[in-house]
Amino acid sequence: MAGRAEFLERIRREVAKTPGLFGASTAPRPPRPAAAAEAIRRELAERWPQALDRFRQEFERVAGVFHRVPDLAAVPDTIAAIARERGARRLVTWDPAILGFDAGARLAADGCAVVTARAGQEDEASRLRHRADAAAAQLGVTGADLVLAETGTLILLSGAGRPRSTSLLPDVHVAVFGRDRLLESLEQVGVMLEDLHVDPDAAMSGAMINFITGPSRTADIELTLTRGVHGPKEVHAVFVEAP
Amino acid sequence: MSEGLLRTTLPDRAGAALRDTFLQQALTIATTKFIDLRRESFEGFPQGEALRDRARAIKEATLQHLDVHLERLADNVERLGGTVHWAATAEEAREIVLRLARDRGVRMAVKSKSMATEEIDLNEALEHAGVTPVETDLGEYIIQLAHEKPSHIIAPAIHKTKGQVAELFSRELGGRFEADPEVLTAVARRALRQKFLEADMGITGANFAVADTGTVVLVTNEGNGRMVTSLPRIHVALMGIEKVIPSMSDLVVFLDILARSATGQKLSSYTTLVRGPRRAGELEGPEEFHLILLDNGRARQIASTLREALYCLRCGACLNVCPVYRQIGGHAYGYTYPGPIGILLTAMLKGNESVRELAHASSLCGACKDVCPVRIDIPRMLVELREHLDREKIAPWSERVVFHAFRRLLLSPAAFRLSARAGRWLQRPFVRAGRLRGLPLLLGRWTRTRDLPPVAARTFRELWKELR
Repeated sequence: MAGRAEFLERIRREVAKTPGLFGASTAPRPPRPAAAAEAIRRELAERWPQALDRFRQEFERVAGVFHRVPDLAAVPDTIAAIARERGARRLVTWDPAILGFDAGARLAADGCAVVTARAGQEDEASRLRHRADAAAAQLGVTGADLVLAETGTLILLSGAGRPRSTSLLPDVHVAVFGRDRLLESLEQVGVMLEDLHVDPDAAMSGAMINFITGPSRTADIELTLTRGVHGPKEVHAVFVEAP
Repeated sequence: MSEGLLRTTLPDRAGAALRDTFLQQALTIATTKFIDLRRESFEGFPQGEALRDRARAIKEATLQHLDVHLERLADNVERLGGTVHWAATAEEAREIVLRLARDRGVRMAVKSKSMATEEIDLNEALEHAGVTPVETDLGEYIIQLAHEKPSHIIAPAIHKTKGQVAELFSRELGGRFEADPEVLTAVARRALRQKFLEADMGITGANFAVADTGTVVLVTNEGNGRMVTSLPRIHVALMGIEKVIPSMSDLVVFLDILARSATGQKLSSYTTLVRGPRRAGELEGPEEFHLILLDNGRARQIASTLREALYCLRCGACLNVCPVYRQIGGHAYGYTYPGPIGILLTAMLKGNESVRELAHASSLCGACKDVCPVRIDIPRMLVELREHLDREKIAPWSERVVFHAFRRLLLSPAAFRLSARAGRWLQRPFVRAGRLRGLPLLLGRWTRTRDLPPVAARTFRELWKELR
């Protein structure tokens, strides 16, 4: 079997004999990603209301359900209402320390079972238990690390206390975010991703980033659009007004 | 039809497709819908054209230093705790997957849609080795249960009716299911959810791989790509070497045009960025991450005729607009990759011999080039491929003789003049309603399905002489 050196040598040879090349360049990259990211955040601190309107419009276009609450204290009630409406009895959520709110007590009052993924639990037993819980849950609650207005997209980083399956296995996914997460364009997302990876070990605790644009969908049978083929059938975005 | 040449001829396969009334209807509906969705999506997106130019430039710039980018990708994947494998051929790639499966006692592998794994016939190899491969993209799942091959790059089961799918599911999964896409999708969801949770290995392709960060990027709508990369304990990603791109800044350029070109969406439902195995502190994600870099004929095109085909994003847009694909569908092409780009990719992966017939399955109308998100000049390469087939004497001798005679004729003014006169006289019995029809002997094979304009009563050269 060809090793790395031999494999790369063959490609190097082919690259060297390429005839008639024309000038081509890759996409321009921010020379100092941290500064570029900061500049975008400053601009959005002014423009977030327009970005939010656009997000709502695009998110609803991809069948997302948009909610708006005054502050974090109001979030548990909103989640409880969604759970009640969808008949969800079992919930799974990200670590409250990351979310900034704890919906556990409110939901328990409604008779729901809530499983919370806490940072710091990663032994094999916790792993297996969490997997079974996530698979059985009907509703998953997460934050959103970036929210892209022009496509109606929620961007979630995985990590400690923020399992990847919370937004995948349950039938209903609820993501909660504030104004500081809003971005306008994919180009801005590119800058943020560059910034995130400058020192990945510091900035990112997890190995996966998911862009979520509406519910899971397919049109594989006679091009009929059907939702919830593997992932959630419904995606809710809860916007928290208070900064 | 795993390796080498096919036993049937293209006219036979095309004929069968043309006689299949359901297929004809399905192809028209599907391709027309995809064309409309794509057009609408780009109409409201004025920056799209500039992004397409930029995307093309990125692909070209990356190819010019492909070795450097691949090395960087491999270093970064390894730094993150992943393992990189180098597969020069399809056989080597299969061997790598099988060895991993064997060494780790894998009994079942869940797969998200990957043309690269189709290309190396991985499923058959896995089955042979006692590992059950389960396709989890709904279209691919249907195809796998029916023991068929995909007929479209992004809609693999467009050739099947909901009635056929209902029958198939009822037979294979046990039950009686209504011919309703909603019901059938729910059936597949239940069946496959169990598989995701049970499987030991997840196998994916890669839409992109970012060299700078060691990230493999998957674009899906169903969420199966996420399942496959989150739940099993081993994740194996197989990618052609041309999928590498330098940075995250490049990635967002492609994301902006890929889904628009494929399905008319702004973004697909899920874009998943995978950076190696799960990290300390994470509750979920695979323990092991393996990236297989596949050459299989790609590298030797870097400095050759089909170089531009290495830009391809596998969006399927060129299939939908191709007048040939729209008539005969994907199966008639006979290989993994159908449509205009498929002809070039087949030549790349299986050798020029394999497209002796397919090289002519194009009207060279250029529609494919117009819709290609990275503006691949498919018609130019098809012409070059035809020229090559002739030069290497791979084309049938009759074709070569006819075209060489034609060439002589065009090079000699006297012979050309004479041929016009002779043609005018010879064509008389066959001109009906101003068209040439029903020519005799070998020529009849041409006029069986087409007619031709006759040689003019006065040729241009004759008119020109008078005018002077």
